[in-house]
Amino acid sequence: MKGLFKSKPRTPVDIVRQTRDLIIYANRSADVRESKREDKMAELCKNIRELKSILYGNSESEPVSEACAQLTAEFFRENTLRLLITCLPKLNLEARKDATQVVANLQRQQVHSKLIASDYLEANIDLLDILIAGYENTDMALHYGAMLRECIRHQSVARYVLESQHMKKFFDYIQLPNFDIAADAAATFKELLTRHKSTVAEFLSKNYNWFFAEYNSKLLESSNYITRRQAVKLLGDILLDRSNSVVMTRYVSSRENLRILMNLLRESSKSIQIEAFHVFKLFAANQNKPPDIVSILVANRSKLLRLFADFKTDKEDEQFEADKAQVVKEIAGLEPRDRP
Amino acid sequence: MAHHEQEDQCSSTGTITQKIQYPLDPSSYKILDQIGVGVSAIVYKAICIPMDSTVVAIKAIDLDQSRTDLDSIRRETKTMSLLSHPNILNAHCSFSVDSRLWVVMPFMSCGSLQSIISSCFPDGLPEPCIAIVLKETLSALSYLHNQGHLHRDVKAGNILIDSDGSVKLADFGVSASIYEPSHHHHHGSAMITDMAGTPYWMAPEVIRSHTGYSFKADIWSFGITALELAHGRPPLSHLPPEKSLLMKMTQRFRFSDYEKTLKIKDKNKKFSRAFKDMVASCLDQDPSKRPSAEKLMKHSFFKNCNKGVEVFVKNVLHGLRSVEERFKESRKHVGVEHHEDEEFEVGSSPPVKQRRISGWNFNEEGFELDPVFPFFTTESREDSDSVVKQVRFGGETIIPPDRIKKQSESDTNSEESNLGTQLAVHHQAAESDQSSEVVGAFDNETVLGGLMALRRSLDEERQQVSNMIALLGGEISREDQLMQIVERLKMELETERRKNFELEMELEFLKHQISGADNSGGTD
Repeated sequence: MKGLFKSKPRTPVDIVRQTRDLIIYANRSADVRESKREDKMAELCKNIRELKSILYGNSESEPVSEACAQLTAEFFRENTLRLLITCLPKLNLEARKDATQVVANLQRQQVHSKLIASDYLEANIDLLDILIAGYENTDMALHYGAMLRECIRHQSVARYVLESQHMKKFFDYIQLPNFDIAADAAATFKELLTRHKSTVAEFLSKNYNWFFAEYNSKLLESSNYITRRQAVKLLGDILLDRSNSVVMTRYVSSRENLRILMNLLRESSKSIQIEAFHVFKLFAANQNKPPDIVSILVANRSKLLRLFADFKTDKEDEQFEADKAQVVKEIAGLEPRDRP
Repeated sequence: MAHHEQEDQCSSTGTITQKIQYPLDPSSYKILDQIGVGVSAIVYKAICIPMDSTVVAIKAIDLDQSRTDLDSIRRETKTMSLLSHPNILNAHCSFSVDSRLWVVMPFMSCGSLQSIISSCFPDGLPEPCIAIVLKETLSALSYLHNQGHLHRDVKAGNILIDSDGSVKLADFGVSASIYEPSHHHHHGSAMITDMAGTPYWMAPEVIRSHTGYSFKADIWSFGITALELAHGRPPLSHLPPEKSLLMKMTQRFRFSDYEKTLKIKDKNKKFSRAFKDMVASCLDQDPSKRPSAEKLMKHSFFKNCNKGVEVFVKNVLHGLRSVEERFKESRKHVGVEHHEDEEFEVGSSPPVKQRRISGWNFNEEGFELDPVFPFFTTESREDSDSVVKQVRFGGETIIPPDRIKKQSESDTNSEESNLGTQLAVHHQAAESDQSSEVVGAFDNETVLGGLMALRRSLDEERQQVSNMIALLGGEISREDQLMQIVERLKMELETERRKNFELEMELEFLKHQISGADNSGGTD
């Protein structure tokens, strides 16, 4: 009996199309009966789950690349991504998570050895505005945030976000009281500032003044422990990256920056101290220290040397010890400038 | 058209449930009591004042002390806030308070199964109750696995109970997602290769970590948890977890342990075939042969637990002291017991690397777990009665139980009974076809002979153990050890030198300053 009504298995393309139709239905159907609407929503959720299991495989089978490619091609042939993103708040938690994983996976799928998701996003770059604004919505933040982090894997998309006005908002998102959301925003922020080296270097050079002013005052001098700790770690990652050497040289020539880092060195938190040291060492190692940097270091020489004398990492760390020895040597050997 | 399939999770509801937002500032909460403590976290019972003084549990994680980095903590709390299942402990919210992260969770008033067992059921729970809690736990695991998450630390200490009998799986401190890009990216397949979890519960493929961790490792831990609930402790737990299991093996010689295992052996008769079969399937050496959580739920062992939680509430939770009282009680014994943390929802202890056993055999009859040391099984086959063979965990001794019973009867009120039996055991083992009546009347000669035999076997044992350690590359030779000491001393010397240099520099600098001050004073 059952076999009679069994429809032939749907192809990945069928599932994408049906998903699209269902989303369109969900988006406009304020007027239909509640029960019918619920049926449709349930069907939509089920379709999204099927998309997920094609892309990720399931307990019985590994994903098939041909099926994935078909699915991806159909998905981006029309506006399915936009529909899915805007429809997300209407879905239940499980479907939201499935959708997020589908969107994440699609960013890496190649069709004819091309990442077509990148082309699609370039043409629909305003979708990024929706995703970023998600940080202001407690219910959507983690889903949109996860999608966002996947989208900025594409260099052109990351460049758009870096150069947009959204960049300033991250300084506030990172400090939201809700830890999950703040931490998610911090992860995205880090990704933006470390993933695509040349784009980051260009961004930092062009936006040096406002960016580091915000970075110092809002993040490094934040009253929030987590913010300070993450910010000083990220600062180290950024400045120590070879591609950012110009920015680094500029950063370590500023007296104000040195003051902030020296304050972080004095924190009671060991983790912050250690991370701050990795930035501070750049000030000391700079072979062209401006006079005001030298005079600060000289003025604080004995305090610094005393601090470093019993400054240790929990685990033995040769590199750290070597760096420390270098910094101590550098500071100890500084000649006070001639008095005016 | 309409696909009304069974058990479809997302079609069950198309509606969106809005999460109640708990306040994100510490002043909204009033801490009542401490109910748990872990390596870098404390768990409190508290009330949320603006929410009608709802009782909550707050896990305060010390971020500065915590060895795990912020990223894994982020992953944990994110996982917790995105999961939604009746058998999974969610977080209401989390926020930072100075260098601590407060994770606010529902308060589970009966605490963990581990704490219930250790205070009221030291010999294990009744089987019908085990079935009930395990089924609920399995339901959580099945959901988790369907979501692409691994729990990685399934144990009684992470199964929490509320006063109404509801069961929730907690502590995602070490959980990981196979969808998490970083892992997926590196390994290509759904395997996670870093070590996590608590030693006794760890699956063999996790211990031999190169093959990676998959859903089936959670099933293994689930099986161990079943044994834990049945016996009141996990297998091998009389051994401290930190050191290598191999080193502790030698301590297994003590007779006192046999008494415990005997008791367990007697109790085993009570367990049903279905239970043993269920556990055996979880503890299969080959992960691919272990059932999935979903499949396991259909096992006949879980058929009859639909009677529901009343049995459980009545038999287990009735008259149970409060979780805070039990916590205080357990604190008193801290330091006496071995290092296992009596924890409740607390971050797991740092993962301990243990690679020195090659696997575990589940002894279905004994309902215990025997680790496999391939070296022994091959080496000691020829003299199968030698003492070495006693170095099997899990309570299977080579001496037939009836003989041991005889022994313990015969030396009821002998002062040296302990020594006597201990010697006798080894003596017998060394000369196995001698009479079993040695114990009652021992003379100097016998004792001496026994001691000699014991020393011989201990020497052999030590030799074998060090061979094995060397074989597994677990430990370094004495020469290497000395080299290391030399190396360390060199380092220390170097540090001293450097400090000396620094002090000299500082002195120099101070002199300089003084003279500078003098000079400037002079010119002024």
